[in-house]
Amino acid sequence: MFQAKKNYLIAYGFLLPWLIGLIGLVLGPMISSLYLSFTNYDLLTSPEWIGIGNYTDLFGDRVFKKSVEVTLVFVIVGVPLQLLGALLVAVLLNQKLRGLGFYRTIYYIPSLLGGSVAIAILWKNIFGLDGLINDFLAWFGIQGEGWVSNPNYAVYTLIALAVWQFGSSMVIFLAGLKQIPMELYESASVDGATAFRKFKSITLPLITPVLLFNLIMTLIKSVQVFTSAFIVSEGTGGPSNSTMFYTLLLYLKGFSYFDMGTAAAMAWLLLIFLGLLTAVVFFTSKYWVHYGD
Amino acid sequence: MKKTLLLMLLMVSFVLVLSACADSEDASNEDTSSGDTSDDSSNEESENASEEEGDVNLRIAWWGGEDRHERTLEVIEMYEEQNPHVTIETEYSGFDGYFDKLSTQFAAGNAPDIIQYGGNLNDYVLRDVVLPLNQFLGEEIDVSLHDKKMLESATFDDELYGVTLGSNAFGLLLNKTKFEEAGVEMPSKDWTWNDFNEITAEITESLDGVYGTQYFGEDGFGVYIDQNDKVLHEDGVLQIEKQDVQDWFELWVGISDNGGLVPPEIQAESSQTPEQSSIVRGDVAIEFGASNQLGAYAGATEDEIVLHNPPYNDLGNHGASLRASQYFAGYSETEHPEEVAKFLNFFVNNKEAAAVLGNDRGAPVNSEIRKTLIENANELDEAIFAYVDFVSSTNDSPFVPNLPGYNETQAVFKSIGEEIFFEQTSIEDGVDYYWEELNSILDDNRE
Repeated sequence: MFQAKKNYLIAYGFLLPWLIGLIGLVLGPMISSLYLSFTNYDLLTSPEWIGIGNYTDLFGDRVFKKSVEVTLVFVIVGVPLQLLGALLVAVLLNQKLRGLGFYRTIYYIPSLLGGSVAIAILWKNIFGLDGLINDFLAWFGIQGEGWVSNPNYAVYTLIALAVWQFGSSMVIFLAGLKQIPMELYESASVDGATAFRKFKSITLPLITPVLLFNLIMTLIKSVQVFTSAFIVSEGTGGPSNSTMFYTLLLYLKGFSYFDMGTAAAMAWLLLIFLGLLTAVVFFTSKYWVHYGD
Repeated sequence: MKKTLLLMLLMVSFVLVLSACADSEDASNEDTSSGDTSDDSSNEESENASEEEGDVNLRIAWWGGEDRHERTLEVIEMYEEQNPHVTIETEYSGFDGYFDKLSTQFAAGNAPDIIQYGGNLNDYVLRDVVLPLNQFLGEEIDVSLHDKKMLESATFDDELYGVTLGSNAFGLLLNKTKFEEAGVEMPSKDWTWNDFNEITAEITESLDGVYGTQYFGEDGFGVYIDQNDKVLHEDGVLQIEKQDVQDWFELWVGISDNGGLVPPEIQAESSQTPEQSSIVRGDVAIEFGASNQLGAYAGATEDEIVLHNPPYNDLGNHGASLRASQYFAGYSETEHPEEVAKFLNFFVNNKEAAAVLGNDRGAPVNSEIRKTLIENANELDEAIFAYVDFVSSTNDSPFVPNLPGYNETQAVFKSIGEEIFFEQTSIEDGVDYYWEELNSILDDNRE
């Protein structure tokens, strides 16, 4: 009995460094941000309690609505494209090819660089008025657009940037593809199934657990997209708020507009939204995810 | 068992030590210049002891380009040499993120002792984080030779809050080379908005891929308001009417319809950095700017860039006036207010320091020092001084600080402009929205 108790103590002792981190760096800040979301807080003077004012004000805020709209476009258009792109590359890299390891490394590189400032700057130049894309189009006599400086296209260039960073989902898809027993393909071949048929009836169903995981991760990542818009628009979310992602507005409100209270409220709304979104995906998953048993 | 406990204890203490190290590293505010290795935690502990020896540690923050960093660092070194008991840690960067970082430091209570502000000084005075300076006047700080207008610009409720680092004036940068290529005559000093409209359209027509002018933005709007003998606001209370905003955008849509204005796509791609501005990239022949930036723009291109006054309106005003470029001010919670005051005084009143700083933050506000600088001026500086002289002799409107909540009001003004030029909204709707937002932001940013 005594011995068991002591073992618990030791276990908690080993957990202590992590617990300190969890309480001090995660739970503590979360609770204080919950408190701040009910206050008027400009970062420089002490917060003042105003109840749910920050939350109700948001719903009359035009830029807030715009930021929700832009983020939803990014998620609804971007997530399927990101998953499709990653799956496609994973299938290609699952073939028996010479120098496959080399290709796998090459295709993973964009995701290693992906979050970085340098890539966002590069993107800005590629899609700029005098950028690579327009130079290319000019060969065919097509007059290009200002892809990042035109509010009608800006968000799509950022989606393209996200799709290009397929690496981490691709690796997980690849691992999933490797799990599929070869016998299934062999017997399907014997039955005369086409490549497309094999993909549709074997690969896709068997890879759904991995797809679920990737879907949730990509959704969360996409809802929280920040760096690319921050760099490409130079922290403004422009032109005319067309790249004003939710987290970018949150950042601007907190650190630039002297309105940390509203920023905290936005953070909590985001948390609730992400929780609900994930719950919905999990709930529907029982209709389309096959665990093979 | 004992062994396990011991091992556990060791690990815990090890982790604690590690995290403690990390903490002090974070807190010692990435000092990039001096090789000072003393960390903050030891400073705090030995605060009492060092106080007796008279050692003072000051932190100073500013933003700027490479040139400004070098000049400022040199002056700081100079100060340290003359005041061996003072050590100065520097935190300098470009403008992007400068005030974001500062906000965080204020919130954490560890902001630098000396901070560079721009026209947004009022936003920080309002929130009580700026050190009042009246108590040092006549002793640590001497402002007897400073321009009265510049002192007023840093005075709120009869209290001085900062020393002005330079005065400049808004104006237009004209690419003379492009004018010549287009065969368009350079405008005279007394040109009007009508001339402006014609000249810009002519340039667009004569040159391929070059447009007459860049849109002037919010600073240009301030000049426009000044032309109408109005001020934007007084202590955060608007002195303009909605119609003024409407007129401004109608003026620009008119210029755009006439062909003189650069397309919004190119407008949106340019940035405040001289190297990436439309005029330096050769997209436009006219751009709005401040007089002290002439050097930076002229240095970034082969073309000849000259400084010119904005066009006159019907009332006979050009609207550009003398204004403060930047300030140095103290942090209200600094532990060494007198030392901060002494440094501020040195920075603006010392002749050798002024010689090093030059015209980078605008013309010095100390009249004697300005005189010395003018005597030793090069060609570009002479052009700047001549322009500033012209402006102050033709327009004596008072200095108007930025609108309170500057970051936000400026962002709304910018995005409304974009929506109007991209034809996503009508002028009326855009102005309606701007007016509503502006009033609500000002309400949030008043005492």
